[in-house]
Amino acid sequence: MNDCQLCKELIEQYLDGTLTDSQLAELEAHAQECEPCGMEFRRYVLLGETIRDSFAPGLAAERAGASVLAKLAAHPQRRCGPSWVLWGRVAVAACVLLAVGCLAGFALGRAGAAREPQRPPLAQVPVQVADVRGTVLVRHQGYDVWHVLEAGSDVCLGDTFHSTAKSDFVLQLAKDSTIEVDQNSMLALTSYNGQTQFFLAHGECTANLESPHGPFFIRTPHGRVEALGTEFTVTVE
Amino acid sequence: MANALKQPVAGDEQWVLAALQGDVPAFGRLVERHWSMVFALALSRVKDPTEAEDIAQESFLKAYAKLGSLRDPSRFPGWLSKITLQQCANAARKGVRRRAVLGSQATALTDVAALPARSSNPGLTDAQIQFVRETVGRLPERFQRLVIMRFMGELSAVQIAEQLGKRPGTVRVWLHRAYKILRKDLAPLLEEVKS
Repeated sequence: MNDCQLCKELIEQYLDGTLTDSQLAELEAHAQECEPCGMEFRRYVLLGETIRDSFAPGLAAERAGASVLAKLAAHPQRRCGPSWVLWGRVAVAACVLLAVGCLAGFALGRAGAAREPQRPPLAQVPVQVADVRGTVLVRHQGYDVWHVLEAGSDVCLGDTFHSTAKSDFVLQLAKDSTIEVDQNSMLALTSYNGQTQFFLAHGECTANLESPHGPFFIRTPHGRVEALGTEFTVTVE
Repeated sequence: MANALKQPVAGDEQWVLAALQGDVPAFGRLVERHWSMVFALALSRVKDPTEAEDIAQESFLKAYAKLGSLRDPSRFPGWLSKITLQQCANAARKGVRRRAVLGSQATALTDVAALPARSSNPGLTDAQIQFVRETVGRLPERFQRLVIMRFMGELSAVQIAEQLGKRPGTVRVWLHRAYKILRKDLAPLLEEVKS
């Protein structure tokens, strides 16, 4: 098989999107040496670029993602979950269980009353949201609804924050210390030995602490980071 | 200049599962990844970029609401493309109804000459962008979808076949037929751009 025949096959693979980096390098090398193959290849590359450029969205993907998340946060009733068919089965199963439960309750002489699901009480902590840029979402512990975070709002133990693309926020801690959380990060406030701790699940945050300061830690999935100075950054890939 | 093989579908599955478990931001990642493809699919059908953006957002909201009915999370892009095309069909029906009510005041979906060819790319002129969109829009619908999934979704022919439940050979043949038509119809523009 000559080089031009191989080049033709590689162009087909390029168009199919199945070309590896080394094959692409081989194709480009031949296209530079052979004028007809080069023209053919460049024409298809140009075709692809022209289509990509013509259909490129005006709204950047990051902003689109943030916009959809904000709409979901504004309309928490738009929840995802099992399909209606599955919900139907769940409903039937729930009815059967309810009937059995009621019968058992009557048999025991104490009919059960339906109860609201127990939500853990929200314990406010001395942390405030100092600044929010872009779309940052917050979820309270025990709740499954995300809300859009606003500057100035109070923070509770168990809160989980998620900063979307091109969004960040600043938490003001007691005594003029702050934590700046970068875009695409998830930070949760947890309790450890009765003390509030920060857990960075992913992303990046920078703590600016006043001097002197007491022991200060940020937990990550890989371990605990202790602040020795006044400013430090933690990144979790 | 040219791009080699990419593997964009990896990761969809874990984000879909995370979203189903209540991790809403994981769904945001899916939006970011597939935004270009969904927007382009909508634009190939409704022509108006603003309407296409609305349809794309609605498609994602609908996908989120119906995520539990997705049997195979790894086939999220193909499933999403079906939802988008359904949303486009719904929008077209509403447009027809609206035009029937408003008479000549409403813009016909096929009358796109006066619509702005909004794009993030400053390299092509508005007229060139419009010409490319119309040329792609004239392709048979089954070809249109493949071309958009290939170039805007960055999916390979094999991945498209997996997503749509078709044979890879069929997708390859359809794609190459589409390339042939596009190459012929876009030839004057490609010469213009090249020079």
